[in-house]
Amino acid sequence: MSEYKKPLPTPDIETKEYWQGCKRHELLIQRCKDCGTYRFPPMPMCPECNSMNGEWTKVSGRGRVYSWFVVHYATHPDFVDEVPYAVVLVELDEQANVRIPSNMVDCKIEDIKAGMPVEVVFEDVTDEISLPKFRPVR
Amino acid sequence: MIEYGTTPQQLGMVAVTQRKHASMNERAMMRTPITIEDYFNSRMIAEPFRLLDICLETDGGCAVVVTSAERAREMKHRPVYIMGAAIGSGPHPTPYGMSTFGWLRGSHTELYGKHISPQLYGMAGVTPKDIDLAELYDEMSIAVLVQLEDFGFCQKGEGGPFVEEGRIEIGRELPVNTHGGFLSEGYLHGLNHVAEAVSQLRGDAGERQAKDAEIALCTSLGMQAGSALILRR
Repeated sequence: MSEYKKPLPTPDIETKEYWQGCKRHELLIQRCKDCGTYRFPPMPMCPECNSMNGEWTKVSGRGRVYSWFVVHYATHPDFVDEVPYAVVLVELDEQANVRIPSNMVDCKIEDIKAGMPVEVVFEDVTDEISLPKFRPVR
Repeated sequence: MIEYGTTPQQLGMVAVTQRKHASMNERAMMRTPITIEDYFNSRMIAEPFRLLDICLETDGGCAVVVTSAERAREMKHRPVYIMGAAIGSGPHPTPYGMSTFGWLRGSHTELYGKHISPQLYGMAGVTPKDIDLAELYDEMSIAVLVQLEDFGFCQKGEGGPFVEEGRIEIGRELPVNTHGGFLSEGYLHGLNHVAEAVSQLRGDAGERQAKDAEIALCTSLGMQAGSALILRR
């Protein structure tokens, strides 16, 4: 597990709970306790009603591919051996404008389609960090 | 592409048309004309975008002199007047620097232009029909299509066909990026678009001069936020 050489996220005051959830293989999204709106990426204030009153909520991890692109030119040296790879934007079933950028697993690039149903899977890349990725729902 | 069926060919025609304009611009970094075949032969960078969809990297400088209309009349050069200006973003900017993460929440096909257009045209007292040429922020080919729609030159989703039909060429309905834009002249963050609009409105654009250019639109953006100017001669 310690062989993972690519850049790792650095959990901070805003994102600590998110990455702790990933480590337990749970996808947690912030939700406003006043108006009920989910929000991503992690942020202190609700973008709908400006309330600072939020909580972390476990979500289904299911969603659909909203859009994607395929990286052919690696701008970071650690990704040179990975190209070409797809970056997908997954819109969660819970709410239309909550989208997570990630990668697909168990899916060829040419099989990615807009609107395809996907579900989260977690890749344990170090002892502390697990990355949420998505695979087609079969 | 997902929402409106925009094609790679339509993206390519932005690059081809702007290069044609740049071939008449001695300041442009890239002046050799390209064909749509050259576009399809350029390497993929971030699919669907190829090398020729993406702006140049440029070290350069650009300046404009802004003064009162009264003083401008006394100056050596023919003045160009500011009719309207607006700046803004979409309706849901996130706390992170205007709307840097807007693409996680908002539309990918409706950007700042849609939201600042009413204010911009209102201040200038004109409509899209009155605009003779447009210098549109073109960090990527797709931005030209979205802004043609957002600033009211065609319906949403019709930017691709608008370009493919040649309507953005000099001599046609709405000349766009008459200097070659960021894709071919150079990436000076939008100020070169203002400088080009001024040249065109003064009638100083030489071989690439758009005929009877009286009113021009110039735009600039960063992620989902942006600004725009309407100038007249």
